[in-house]
Amino acid sequence: MAEVLYWISTFVLILTLLCMLGYQLILLVDLEFDYINPYDSTSRINQVVLPEFIILGIFCFTNLIAGHWFTFFLSLPCMYYNARLYFKREHLADVTEIYNKLKWEKNKRLFKVANLVIIFVFSILSLVWTLTEDVH
Amino acid sequence: MGTENPGRPTFPARPVSSPFAAAPAPQTVTPFASMPGSDPPPPFRPTPPAPPQASSPFSSFGPPVRPGAPSFRPAPPGRFNDPSVPPPPPPQSSNFLPAGNFQQFSAPQFPPAQPRGPPPMMGQPQPSFQPPPAVQTQSFPASFPPQPQMPHVPMGSPPPPPSATTPGPLGTNVPPTAYQPSFPGYARMQPGAEIQPPPMHSANQGNYGPVPPAQSSPFAPNQGGYVQQPPVAAPLGMQHMPPPGSASSIQGLTEDFSSLAVQTRPGTIDQVFDAKELPRPLDGDVEPNNLAEMYPMNCNPRYLRLTTGALPSSQSLASRWHLPLGAVVCPLAESPDGEEVPTVNFAPASVVRCRRCRTYVNPYVTFTEAGRKFRCNVCTLLNDVPSEYYAQLDATGRRVDLNQRPELTQGTVEFVAPTEYMVRPPMPPVYFFLIDVSISAVKSGMIEVVAETIKSCLDELPGFPRTQIGFATFDSTIHFYNMKSSLTQPQMLVVSDLDDIFVPLPDDLLVNLSESRSVVDAFLDSLPTMFQDNVNLESAFGPALKAAFMVMSQLGGKLLIFQNTLPSLGIGRLRLRGDDTRVYGTDKEHGLRLPEDPFYKQMAAEFSKLQISVNVYAFSDKYTDIASLGTLAKYTAGQVYYYPAFQSAIHGEKLRHELRRDLIRETAWEAVMRIRCAKGVRFTTYHGNFMLRSTDLLALPAVDCDKAFAMQLSLEETLLTTQTMYFQVALLYTASCGERRIRVHTMAVPVVTDLADLYRLADTGAIVSLFSRLAIEKTLSQKLEDARSAVQQKIVKGLKEYRNLYAVQHRLANRMIYPESLKFLMLYGLALCKSMALRGGFGDVPLDERCAAGHTIMTLPIKRLLKLLYPSLIRVDEYLLKASVQADDLKSIERRLPLTGESLDYRGLYIYDDGFRFILWFGKVISPDIAKNLLGADFAAELSKATLIEHNNEMSRRLMKVLEKLRNTDRAYYQLCHLVRQGEQPKEGFLLLANLVEDQMGGNSGYADWMLQISRQVQHT
Repeated sequence: MAEVLYWISTFVLILTLLCMLGYQLILLVDLEFDYINPYDSTSRINQVVLPEFIILGIFCFTNLIAGHWFTFFLSLPCMYYNARLYFKREHLADVTEIYNKLKWEKNKRLFKVANLVIIFVFSILSLVWTLTEDVH
Repeated sequence: MGTENPGRPTFPARPVSSPFAAAPAPQTVTPFASMPGSDPPPPFRPTPPAPPQASSPFSSFGPPVRPGAPSFRPAPPGRFNDPSVPPPPPPQSSNFLPAGNFQQFSAPQFPPAQPRGPPPMMGQPQPSFQPPPAVQTQSFPASFPPQPQMPHVPMGSPPPPPSATTPGPLGTNVPPTAYQPSFPGYARMQPGAEIQPPPMHSANQGNYGPVPPAQSSPFAPNQGGYVQQPPVAAPLGMQHMPPPGSASSIQGLTEDFSSLAVQTRPGTIDQVFDAKELPRPLDGDVEPNNLAEMYPMNCNPRYLRLTTGALPSSQSLASRWHLPLGAVVCPLAESPDGEEVPTVNFAPASVVRCRRCRTYVNPYVTFTEAGRKFRCNVCTLLNDVPSEYYAQLDATGRRVDLNQRPELTQGTVEFVAPTEYMVRPPMPPVYFFLIDVSISAVKSGMIEVVAETIKSCLDELPGFPRTQIGFATFDSTIHFYNMKSSLTQPQMLVVSDLDDIFVPLPDDLLVNLSESRSVVDAFLDSLPTMFQDNVNLESAFGPALKAAFMVMSQLGGKLLIFQNTLPSLGIGRLRLRGDDTRVYGTDKEHGLRLPEDPFYKQMAAEFSKLQISVNVYAFSDKYTDIASLGTLAKYTAGQVYYYPAFQSAIHGEKLRHELRRDLIRETAWEAVMRIRCAKGVRFTTYHGNFMLRSTDLLALPAVDCDKAFAMQLSLEETLLTTQTMYFQVALLYTASCGERRIRVHTMAVPVVTDLADLYRLADTGAIVSLFSRLAIEKTLSQKLEDARSAVQQKIVKGLKEYRNLYAVQHRLANRMIYPESLKFLMLYGLALCKSMALRGGFGDVPLDERCAAGHTIMTLPIKRLLKLLYPSLIRVDEYLLKASVQADDLKSIERRLPLTGESLDYRGLYIYDDGFRFILWFGKVISPDIAKNLLGADFAAELSKATLIEHNNEMSRRLMKVLEKLRNTDRAYYQLCHLVRQGEQPKEGFLLLANLVEDQMGGNSGYADWMLQISRQVQHT
């Protein structure tokens, strides 16, 4: 039962994270193409930055206690990076410099998305693997 | 400079050019027109339409990079007598802008200088050809009739890249060295140079009659019109100008670049540069005017300067240009009397713009179809001319009303914007003053000076009668002043709840100045006395800032903050930092130069959003965290004024002048600025005080003539297909009178395929301006050391690439070469590294002063920046002692001296002037007469206590006159006099000696060493 709960929560968390990052990326791209002004863009991005960090934290934590070490280690670098940003107080997008950092902010998020996709693929594989294990 | 008047030295070498050259009759000349074209001396120059410019540094002409000289010389002499030999192509064709120019030759308009230019023809109206730099094509007035058909020869055949091998024949015929100014001689730049021309000139005259030397008349290229015969490719290939600096001509070498010889110190192996030969910008900033000849309808360089007056045609070429590629814009620069910017009102029509790229109508658009359409010069779209704007074209294709249309003849023009350009009714000028009244402010006497100055400026505030004004003061509480016009005395309202700021009576705090004038007067009279007994130590700066924001949020405007105590209460409080020496040199160092509390950035963003511009005046004698406070100015197009340890008796005058200028200078309100250019090029980064509202839109809540903005561009397409690139700066703003206006500056620059052209047209001032801004920005994320070495690295890279252009062909060991146009770059780079903002480390400059200097440099226009980097040093004692003085004798004191300790004579009196302050240096054994006369009874006392006031004697009056004259050259800042006597430590050290940028100081290298370092890195890395 716990295992089922784990898999469900894993996929829900990963998908939520992907949605949040996608949302931020869309806002950044909109900003780049001038569909939105920097004030709205950054304030909306900043609204989801902390939730994103927290969800990633929960994700790491569930992996840790569920004993899925590999997934945990996969998500650890990102977690560490987030924590570092947070403690340096640099986690929020800065409206005054957003244009100068646009490229960096976008790349940062794309990287996170890539990381998540890898975790996601790995999770599916390991789910399939556990299922086939069970069958045999 | 050894490089000017390039072609000349070769004359004597020319064997028999006289037959043609001397031939007076134009018709005989015609067939050979192209010949002289490749032949340096200007044989005929009956009435030079342009003033002879021989004496001007050739860089204004563009260096003689590929003048005819080199190509001519090698040509076998017989050639000249043999008309059957196809003459070489017209010089301009082969050396510059090959394809594009020809169209333009047919261009109708000739530079205004020309008395009877050929009537314009169809085609683009730009009179834009590059007067081939030192190509001495003669201009025959008689031969000027319009030449519609252009030689097609060179079309599309670009000049060979500099690296191209030298054409055979050229190589064989080495120029007779006899005529060379001795080769080593040319290297000594300044001295040798001046001497060379005269003898040549006389030789020249024998053949050609009196000729202003080395002049290329603006329309010389037109000459190209004659040269139809030279057919095509064959000769072209052969006679192509040898690539700059090809080995065939040592002469070419003198023309192509400047160089400095490294000498070996006798008896040692140390290498040194002769300090006397190093180039120094003793004439200050020289605006580049080479483009003005090509494109006379460009805006004046005071508004817009590019780092190089040409654009690389391809990304690969751009990547070899290691110096910044960009522009420095000062959209509202003060124009001298008589050159006011014309205002154009299109009403009832809207502003005429290109439908697709939104370019404003400018001198470079072309009208076609009998005037019903115009072609946009930027995107080549054919637009309809609005019926209100329609005018017929005359026979030559010009609009008949051209003379009444300044927007079609001038590069700078102001349009009155209709209502589509407003999001709200134009705002009135708003001034809100936020004044610190804590005990230190009271003690310094700042409040008194401020109140007095504001009062004296009330009549001159721009925008009467709509101007609005308001005041608030703060210590540990915030005080508002109700100045409703019905009151006789202002009413003070105190808010002490700092956590939850509210604004009492929001409507009466900001009042119309003309209605409430008496109340405002009464307030300003009583302000100094109101707080004279205040003993409050605290400063609730953050909450006060929020309150001011709330008061101003309806209208926007200008917020002037007078701050004296480190913010200590409420939100935005700051703490002492920067006194920890251990942080310096570590990765945390840059944090000191960043705002400590994100509150300031947030507030700045909010201010900018609501069109509020913040000017910060800081006065504290203790640490006051300019890094944080300056952020407010940085993102709101404001300015930081810092008066460390302000005392009204000493600094009062400076504050008075600068505050006054801030208040009464013409200001553009709620402005946005954008710079447009054609497809293929994009502006990528912007540097200065503003906030970006979208990728390329600068939000400037208030902007004035003292602010400049820099931007860098990059090529988006691998290859540019156009021959001319247009830049258009548009500043949309509300004038103080309440009119919405658009100020438009248009500039056309050639697109070039040759790296040497980029160097030739480089503008040191703009490059240095961009360098400084980039360096200052770097100090916000990295160590000072890194910022300094980045400057050096960039210079080295730029020179290295340049050296590679020439080094292969010439034996240049022990010789540092650089383009004439960049001869001061190294020195300015050094000066930048030694400037207040970048100098040394912890102990060298107090943190606040460093940050303030950084903020200042980010806004300075080029001229002022260069003056700050390389200030003038003037000796005045001789002038003061002179028995009689004529009115214009002040000229004698305009001689600037190199900024080195060796310039200081211990018997002299010197003025050091960096545009922000004067330092008067009294030599040790200065004649007691001077000291006594100038300082009165104080002369023996400590100079730090003495002040300079006018005494009742001739000498003192003369000195005052000198100072006044120096101040008048630039009124943006008031130069306060600091007096220092030789040997007076430590004052002399930090006031003057540390600022002698050519001297070695502490760990910094001197000028000669710096050059040696750069030269070594250029050669060996």
